[in-house]
Amino acid sequence: MTGTGARISGGRMWPWLALAVGAALAVPPAQDRVQERMQARAPDPDILYFASPDAIKKMALGYEGLLADIYWMRAIQYYGRREEAERRPVRYKNLAAMLDITSTLDPDMLDVYRAGSIFLAEPDPVGAGQPEQAVALLDKGIARHPAEWRLRLDKGFIYFWFLKDYRHAGQAWLDGSRLAAAPPWMAGLAAMALSRGGEIETAKMLWRQQLEQSERADIRENARNHLASTEVAETLWTLEFFIEKYKEKAGRPPRQLEDLVRAGFLRRVPVDPSGVPYDYEPASGYVGLAPETKVRYLKVPEEYRASFRRKLEELYGSASGRG
Amino acid sequence: MNIAVVARNTFRENIRDRVLYNLILFALVMTVSSIALGQLTLGYERKVIVDLGLSAISIFGTLIAIFIGIGLVHKELERRTVYALLSKPVRRHEFILGKYLGLLATLSVNVAVMTVGLWLSMLYQGGIEPAGYARILPAVYLIFLSLALTTALALVFSTFSTPALSALFTLFLWIAGHFNYDLLEFAATSRTAAMRRFFQALYYLVPNFSNFTSIDSRNVIQSAAYAQPVDWTAVGWTTVYGLVYSGALLALAVAVFSRRDFK
Amino acid sequence: MSVVQIENLTKDFLVGFWRKRRVRALDNLNLTVEPGEIFGFLGPNGAGKTTTLKIMMTLLRPTSGSVRILGEPAASAAMRRRIGYLPENPYFYDYLTAEEMLTYVGRLYGIRRHALRRKVGELLETVGLAEQARVQLRKFSKGMTQRIGIAQAIINDPEAVFLDEPMSGLDPLGRRDVRRIITGLREKGVTVFFSSHILPDVEALCDRVAILHKGRLRETGALHEILQVKIEGHEIILARVSAETRAGLAALCDEIRPMGDRLHLRAADAGRLEAVLARALAGGAELISVNPVRASLEEYFFREVAAEVPRP
Repeated sequence: MTGTGARISGGRMWPWLALAVGAALAVPPAQDRVQERMQARAPDPDILYFASPDAIKKMALGYEGLLADIYWMRAIQYYGRREEAERRPVRYKNLAAMLDITSTLDPDMLDVYRAGSIFLAEPDPVGAGQPEQAVALLDKGIARHPAEWRLRLDKGFIYFWFLKDYRHAGQAWLDGSRLAAAPPWMAGLAAMALSRGGEIETAKMLWRQQLEQSERADIRENARNHLASTEVAETLWTLEFFIEKYKEKAGRPPRQLEDLVRAGFLRRVPVDPSGVPYDYEPASGYVGLAPETKVRYLKVPEEYRASFRRKLEELYGSASGRG
Repeated sequence: MNIAVVARNTFRENIRDRVLYNLILFALVMTVSSIALGQLTLGYERKVIVDLGLSAISIFGTLIAIFIGIGLVHKELERRTVYALLSKPVRRHEFILGKYLGLLATLSVNVAVMTVGLWLSMLYQGGIEPAGYARILPAVYLIFLSLALTTALALVFSTFSTPALSALFTLFLWIAGHFNYDLLEFAATSRTAAMRRFFQALYYLVPNFSNFTSIDSRNVIQSAAYAQPVDWTAVGWTTVYGLVYSGALLALAVAVFSRRDFK
Repeated sequence: MSVVQIENLTKDFLVGFWRKRRVRALDNLNLTVEPGEIFGFLGPNGAGKTTTLKIMMTLLRPTSGSVRILGEPAASAAMRRRIGYLPENPYFYDYLTAEEMLTYVGRLYGIRRHALRRKVGELLETVGLAEQARVQLRKFSKGMTQRIGIAQAIINDPEAVFLDEPMSGLDPLGRRDVRRIITGLREKGVTVFFSSHILPDVEALCDRVAILHKGRLRETGALHEILQVKIEGHEIILARVSAETRAGLAALCDEIRPMGDRLHLRAADAGRLEAVLARALAGGAELISVNPVRASLEEYFFREVAAEVPRP
């Protein structure tokens, strides 16, 4: 028998190779079945066991940057699952820890402090609703990057909008305005906060600044929503104000918003930023966003209502019988 | 039949290997120290003991699987003992499978010993209900599955690579295999279709060790420590995955080994 | 049916970093070994002896050609059950004792427990290692390793054994023991095929030989036939030769060499042999020995083969 090389040997290679390929092809389906069972449960991310950032940093053995990227990515994904959250309350309890780990592993990733603090501070369901943690995170960043004015800007912003602490906000902005690279308007911002803290104008200016300056699409989106919401709030407060004035004058509430135009209070009936007219309920005097609205309304703190109203009264004279 | 003979001899060889005893010693030390550490946690003693004990079984089992596994075939080739052996009526697949099962036998003895050690630690701690002891077992089972996979991996490398490289590759794949879900995320956030497919392929290719560390999407060690209920379907599918992947690796090892000339 | 039938066996190795260069280790080898004979496989180092044996044991795959052993293609496990093999520089698991190693091998042959235990005991006796039964192989000397190697090669009562350099590293006592074992095997009807480069052993044992050089078969046949052609007279050793006798002998012989108190002479042919013997005995000398001078295998070897082996 003249053997071909492969036959005279221990070698029956091809059947085994075929078996290997066959088994390998069965691997992806098996993995998918396992994955299904994993997903079926709560979407807690697969966090590595050790929770202490310093421990992780020590274990990173020089690969902190890579690990930081992975944690940052997980944080984003984690945060980004709010779509599912619409159906189920989201727990952000781990977000602060993740951001802490990420910023320990790579303290120079500015986005972690900037975008991370926003996510932390925003109330449920947009964010974790932990503004103090947000400030702590920013302080960590500031300790590392004392000359970075943007971090001070963000810190002041958190105090201003989420914590209503105008004194600390102004202080943060003041510190920031003293830094070499700070933009000129930061001093003005500080002044406004310290003197006329509860002004919605200041808030709008801050949101506008974020919308124009941020490089992150999600931050800009968030800012856009806030701006739209302040516009809605101002419009609603104005409408309420004029409805009271109308009642004063005519002895009864207007039957529809057009009456306000006819009475000379408004030039035209306002629509919301998405172009949908506002709802008005004459019996109760309620004005608000229509259900069909496309505006993503984020609550505007009631504190601004008072100073806004004062401005209206200055302009148009007071209305009696406050609602 | 010869598979069993080779396996038995491999088991005997492992038992006489000093490396094994050093590792077991360290592992037992770790288990015992968990008792001491537990005292520091004021109320979390049980969790710490179980955490450390299971982690010790996992880590040291993996080290044994890798360090002995990489030599399974290579040592025979290097020391030329393979010549005398393969001229006997032993087929090449019997050789490979026998070696594999022999090491698995060693690992199972090791895991069993350490599990008993863990139970003893728990007993010493006291105040744990019987179900708590039993709850350790699914975690131990999954750990053993992961060891079987690691061994198969080391064995494949052993058929064609030096011990140093084999250890490197196996360890690297073991570490990478804990980040499979991140590969999925990479795929999801990829900008191009080509990148997405690339990451998806990697996701399936890299042995997924995180399968064995998560049940109920919780770390399996943690959930044992908290005595949380087990998702048996997940365990079942994980078993299938482990068997299929290990089977593919073993078949590959046999194929490579069958082809080989022993100069 | 031949015990071994090798036809047109060729083996190339691909060497070099890119595995591009082809080195031919065996070139169209044709060989048969008949039942019951002791067959010697000779050649200088690197001739291809071990390669041939490994191909027979399925440790290497031939590039082309065929090998049949006991009528079966040299691949099946069934065939390996009927033969024994001793590798060159054998290595066995050094953590096993002699007893354990033989038991392991025996199990691989499927020998049952009681029979196995008996057999192991017998074998250890046969190869003279009964005392070292419980000693780990890592403590064995070269000679002892060789002997346990032979033991594991015959544990299955094979029909044929293949030994690669069975005498290597052994002292004369060890070599004698191995020789005895080999002849003992022949008595039992076992065919023995062994490779060697120790020529005196081959001369002593083999019925037929093959001489391999640079992968090619140079010569094959019965040993005495190969060497018969080369008889070159006789060597005579005498003692107590008187000066007168010596002078007379000098005329008859080409070579005369005094060695101590003896005289070595060489007679070129049968005629001169007679004359020398007559002259010596007539002169009162004492005849110590008369030996035919054959080109020994060694000389043949050096002449035919070594000349071509490049000196380093």
